[in-house]
Amino acid sequence: MWKGFSHLLKKDVKMMLSGKFFLLALLSLILYSCYINFIYVNVDQENCRVYLYDPNNLCSAQSKYINRAHSRQELKTACSDRFSIGIDFSADPPEIYMLSSGAEKTDRYRAMWGEAVLTELTEEKPEIVGSYVKEERSRREITAEFLFFELSAVGFLGLASVLFKEKQMGVIRVHGILPVSKAAFILSKLCVFLWSDLIFTCLLTWINVGISDSLTILPAVLTQAGILSLIMSLTGFLCAVLLSDFKQFSLFYLILAVFASTPVFLAGQTGVSWKWLAWHPMHHLFTAMKSAYFGKTAASFPYYLVCIAAIAILFYGACHILAREAAKEG
Amino acid sequence: MEQLKYQLKNIRRDKLCILTFLLPVIVGIIIRFLPAMNFLGLSETSFGCVQNDLSKETISWLQSIGNLTEYETIETLKEGVNNPSTQMIGVLRRKNGIRTILSGDEFELYETIGKTLPQLYDMRADQPAFSKTISPVSEKSDKLKFLFIAMTLVTAMFMGCTFNSMNMISEKEEGTAFVNQILPMSMRSYLLQKLALGFLGGIVSAMVTAFLCIQTAAWQTSPLFLLVILSAYIASLVGLFIGHFSSGLMTGMVCIKIIMILFLAPPIIFYLTVSTDSAVYPLSYLFPSSAAFYGLMELLAGQMENLGLYLVILSIHAVLLTCLYFFIVAGKGSNRR
Repeated sequence: MWKGFSHLLKKDVKMMLSGKFFLLALLSLILYSCYINFIYVNVDQENCRVYLYDPNNLCSAQSKYINRAHSRQELKTACSDRFSIGIDFSADPPEIYMLSSGAEKTDRYRAMWGEAVLTELTEEKPEIVGSYVKEERSRREITAEFLFFELSAVGFLGLASVLFKEKQMGVIRVHGILPVSKAAFILSKLCVFLWSDLIFTCLLTWINVGISDSLTILPAVLTQAGILSLIMSLTGFLCAVLLSDFKQFSLFYLILAVFASTPVFLAGQTGVSWKWLAWHPMHHLFTAMKSAYFGKTAASFPYYLVCIAAIAILFYGACHILAREAAKEG
Repeated sequence: MEQLKYQLKNIRRDKLCILTFLLPVIVGIIIRFLPAMNFLGLSETSFGCVQNDLSKETISWLQSIGNLTEYETIETLKEGVNNPSTQMIGVLRRKNGIRTILSGDEFELYETIGKTLPQLYDMRADQPAFSKTISPVSEKSDKLKFLFIAMTLVTAMFMGCTFNSMNMISEKEEGTAFVNQILPMSMRSYLLQKLALGFLGGIVSAMVTAFLCIQTAAWQTSPLFLLVILSAYIASLVGLFIGHFSSGLMTGMVCIKIIMILFLAPPIIFYLTVSTDSAVYPLSYLFPSSAAFYGLMELLAGQMENLGLYLVILSIHAVLLTCLYFFIVAGKGSNRR
């Protein structure tokens, strides 16, 4: 049995090599890393700028938030971003001019801020409770999100594409008469994908979070990556056996990727919470992954229990369906 | 035209393909009948406090400038402030005023709010020395709904890309590509047919979705139509690129995945987090979907200040990609012939 298993493993690695799987994973890695390092870390939300039009030099306020405008028109143009605040000292009393941002509360704050900037504004030192600075947080956050997307995509698609190729080649039919168990057939695929996903996780984390920082979080991250990889690979396996061709499968996948993971990402990026998200299985996997990146106790005991149960059920389902398919193929 | 009929006949059997184009329409229907979602929370500052800590007056002051969430204990408040998904500022009572808690990883804007909030609070009773002119937004906006609509529309346009690339790759896998080579049909007309399929599908899907989701005024129709046409064209062209360069279904799928990320993620991230004046912002125009996305958001908000710019950017993308494609791919194809 184990001799057969090692052959199966070798065959699966070869299939992945010929499908340029590793090359594409490497390309994804480069793409994500470039995006994180060159674009995402620079993303910031700047302070509200205050534009002051003061032709008679009535205002003596000095502040780093104040920009001088030379005409009323310049003031108006500067404020057209619906974020900046204009203060016109040529009017009596001085006028705060701004375009509404669409949110009433924010507008009220902006007006208050505009007034306050003209007085002596002192910055207090607030109590800091977090352990990361902005760049660290951005790196961890986006790496968690990309990894989540990549693992759910690659495991799901990769395994399915290998299986579809085998289906075309008639491998399932041949397996029906080979002395290798169905479980070994599935296990070898799972092992290969699990390994490649774990290596991908390590590389992505090292490159984007930093080697020393990632050492402390990697054990937790790898655990979550392993769970996600197994669940998605098995789901991919089931779908690949059930659906008739890869085209159908890929369209189904697209639907899943866009409409199932978008709410999860939205919630993750913005902190918006919907009640129904608690019933979204991907949401829990995503939260656990993100917590792992932030070094928090990743998830509770019931979470792991549900994950293990899900993997077991999916594995059993995959064995069962593979046996049925092999019988159907004769 | 005759040939296009055969292509359409070919996809008619593929029910799932048709479903793909219908999918954004279905989502459009859901969005249409969804009750207004409250998205204002995203553009408003969020504050957190501990139950029974702040006075009623402070609470109503905080609620007048942002969203206030109450926590049971100081520990849960700190956890809330520390949550990496939010930019929450913790507010606690102090003698004659308030003090703030930050997590230290906030964007510059929220860091400044946290640092200056106590002083703003102290100044709240001062007599206003200014008159205020706040020009309102032209329409009452529900940004979350707009964001969903724009995302659905961009996805609808993207479907042409998926459809084209999958169509071409499966022809390669089934051997139809070889048959095509000996048919009396030029590479150019073959590519045009393929381009037309995804393009038409993308347009129909996006237009129906747009019709369902957006209550368009007469002046909005033509810019919207232009946006959809240009984006659907670019998407279907990108699909041809993928179809041409992918040797197998798997390579194709991974390419589609990467393109999908590039299509959907940057515009949303830029839209949500980067100010339009920022130096990084124009970088997002490198992705054709960004221009389409911003254009849609602007149309939805009832403006059209930068619409011309977005249309120009989309046209540049379309022209550049077309030239690139026909020089590299079609040129090579006709040489071989």
